[in-house]
Amino acid sequence: MRGPGRALPLLGLILLWEVLARATAQSFVIAAPTAIAAHLATHAELLLRALGTTAWNAAQGYLWGNLAGIALALAAVSAPRAERILSILALFVFCLPLVATGPVLRVLSGPGNAPQVALAALAVYYTTFLPVLVGLRAAPQSWFELVRSHGRGPLAALWLVRLPAALPYLAAGLQIAVPAAFLGAMVGEFTGAERGLGMLTLRALRGLDLPATWAIAVIAALVSGLAFHLAGRLARWLDPAPPALLPAAPAGARPLRLAGPLADTVLALAAGGLLWAGLMELFALPDFFAKRPGDVWAFLVTDAQAGAHRARLAAALGQTLAMAGPGYLAGLALGAGLAAGLTLRPGLAGLAMPLAVALRAVPIIATAPVLIWALGRGAAGTVTVVAVMIFFPTLVACLSGIARTPRAVLDLFDSHAAPGLQRLLWAQLPAILPAFFAAARMAVPAAILAVTTAEWLATGRGIGALMAVSAATSDYAMLWSATAATGLAALAAHGAVAWAERAVLSRHAAEQVAR
Amino acid sequence: MPLFSPMRPDRRRLLQGGLALAGASLAGTTAARAATPARLQLSWLHSVQFGGSYLALDRGYWSGEGLDVSLLPGGPNAPVEPPVVAGTALAGISAADYTAAAVNQGAPFRIIGVAMQKNPFAIASLPGNPVRSPADLAGKKLGMALANMPVLEALLTVNGITTADVEVVPTQYDAAPLLQGQVDCLLCWATDLPVAMEVQGVECVTMLLADFGYSVHSQTYIATEESLATRRSELVALMRGEIRGWEDYRADPAAAAALTLRMFPDAGLDPQVQALQAERQVPLMFSELTEAEGFGWFTEETVAANVETLALLGKPVDPGLWDRSILEEARG
Repeated sequence: MRGPGRALPLLGLILLWEVLARATAQSFVIAAPTAIAAHLATHAELLLRALGTTAWNAAQGYLWGNLAGIALALAAVSAPRAERILSILALFVFCLPLVATGPVLRVLSGPGNAPQVALAALAVYYTTFLPVLVGLRAAPQSWFELVRSHGRGPLAALWLVRLPAALPYLAAGLQIAVPAAFLGAMVGEFTGAERGLGMLTLRALRGLDLPATWAIAVIAALVSGLAFHLAGRLARWLDPAPPALLPAAPAGARPLRLAGPLADTVLALAAGGLLWAGLMELFALPDFFAKRPGDVWAFLVTDAQAGAHRARLAAALGQTLAMAGPGYLAGLALGAGLAAGLTLRPGLAGLAMPLAVALRAVPIIATAPVLIWALGRGAAGTVTVVAVMIFFPTLVACLSGIARTPRAVLDLFDSHAAPGLQRLLWAQLPAILPAFFAAARMAVPAAILAVTTAEWLATGRGIGALMAVSAATSDYAMLWSATAATGLAALAAHGAVAWAERAVLSRHAAEQVAR
Repeated sequence: MPLFSPMRPDRRRLLQGGLALAGASLAGTTAARAATPARLQLSWLHSVQFGGSYLALDRGYWSGEGLDVSLLPGGPNAPVEPPVVAGTALAGISAADYTAAAVNQGAPFRIIGVAMQKNPFAIASLPGNPVRSPADLAGKKLGMALANMPVLEALLTVNGITTADVEVVPTQYDAAPLLQGQVDCLLCWATDLPVAMEVQGVECVTMLLADFGYSVHSQTYIATEESLATRRSELVALMRGEIRGWEDYRADPAAAAALTLRMFPDAGLDPQVQALQAERQVPLMFSELTEAEGFGWFTEETVAANVETLALLGKPVDPGLWDRSILEEARG
């Protein structure tokens, strides 16, 4: 925000935007900055009230979601045997699609804000859980030995070693959670809300009110950007400097085994099924729309039509995965690449980060029409939607990873006056790896959610379309079957990432490999 | 708290207490009036689409019946059927095709009143490339929400056109793809997207599906069989209020639009859109039949026409799905 050097490009950008909007006015895609400003001015009170509602719901969801993420990570690191099971359960819950959870949340809570808060919390707990889990382990083995040598137990190790180590990772999680919570609260309003920015977005889209749609998007982006900035200050306060030491590998790292993970996965699936059935029974949800695991089993296995049901589901899942895969890889590459680029050219951060936050905070129903208009309804549009959804958490996680490069290593490179690229390749890239893999894990469910949204809105194929049609025709058995299949697909992808992670980290960051 | 509910009240209260503890504010749990509380689940966001209900609320037609009605807005992820099945809503605003699908999936519903005698689904197109009859659809690109696929299939079947002749483009429920030239026409309600386009200064052609053999009651009132047995007087009171509210609406749609704007200042409603929509839905809701028998009425003939169309939609239903006893009591 200093001097004309920063203001001029911004002015140019706004001018370009205005010209582009006016040139394409007949297409009803882009609202001109002047039209957006006029809408903001004439609807200021309405928008402020809506912002107040949505922001308050988002803030509550942010608090509960982050607390849940931290608690889960603490539980996982305190009971390493249960870690994989907890991770899988956390993944399943994160994969639940709004079309299935929306009606359940609304019926449970009645009118009011509970579903909005719940969805904001659900949108953030997982992206906090993963980095905090990484952080709780990001301490040198020698420190744990030091604690042990003083005759202190695991609780002391948690308090003295793990928690301080986790703070910077928590900071990254808290930053990633900001736009996600805002988006979660907006999307939560799709379950039948009286007021809020998400509800106004629906109204504006249907009413062909372009300035309104864009004004809401601008507000969502600005508020998320501001909160992101504040979370960033908190991050720097929690983590003023890179660590002094390189975490050393423990002696005799355990070889990769398959039996442990398999047994854990089976246990997690059983626990997930019990939890699913148990919660629905506890709240006595009618099985017309709250299908239990047994209903899904019957629908897919024992029903007379089970074969046809499986075929429909498998075809849709295949279409979805074919789009999610490339989008996932593109998003990860974009996020990591941008992180590397910003490390080499820190000056670009001022331009890139606001855009990145904005893309993440605006609901996809508002951005999708623009993307589809620009890229079409084919693979390019879908892959782009997926990449847009996952590159942001990857970027933030990688940037925080780069900040974790041990000082001793950086000093070594500095003392040799090594150029930035060498520094990046040999010092910072290895330091990035744990954070990158945490991002790759959290991107798995995000990619699936993004691709199903694009399918629902643009391509009409895959699981997203199947879920939309199932919900509209009260075919809740198919809806919950699709939900379960999506969760299992995410688990498989997650397993593949975890396998790659162990293979790489056992060499580069052995402290991360759970023992 | 209703005496009957498939979801046990103690559990729900436990949960709501938990959610309240979790910092969520919950409306509707503090009301402690003498009137019986009843919730009506609407099928979409608040707008003049439900103007008659707002008039009933505003003019005290329900409180006069001893009923304290709250109107719950819907949304894209707020289907009407689950809260009605769960008993959290006494009744819901559905449509015969949605209800038929739910009944085929085991939901114990009855249709107890019909607000839209003529189905509001329409094909909207631009005057330069108009669709005025189903035959015009051949070779056209049609933008529609995927969930409405059965609607299109039924229209084409009734009119002897094969599905392959129409290229379906899945779109968000939004008029922009038509104006951008991505599609030649849209499947939408005559009372929403065409109204939005007109207010934005875009002239368009609308072809009402109901004029080409698509007979599906819309904005229908649904309740469960158990509510019909155990909460009968509440349902009668609910429908009495609805009838009076909608008769008032008919007399003065502009007043309904004005009331909607006043009641929902946070809904972001456009006065022009509401006024035009209020007018546009009058001919869909009121007919010679309602003129003779009153708002919401249906007959064996109109039900038979619905059963026929629903069979084409792949949703076979029994005429017994429609239950006129509540309307008869309300009228009596």
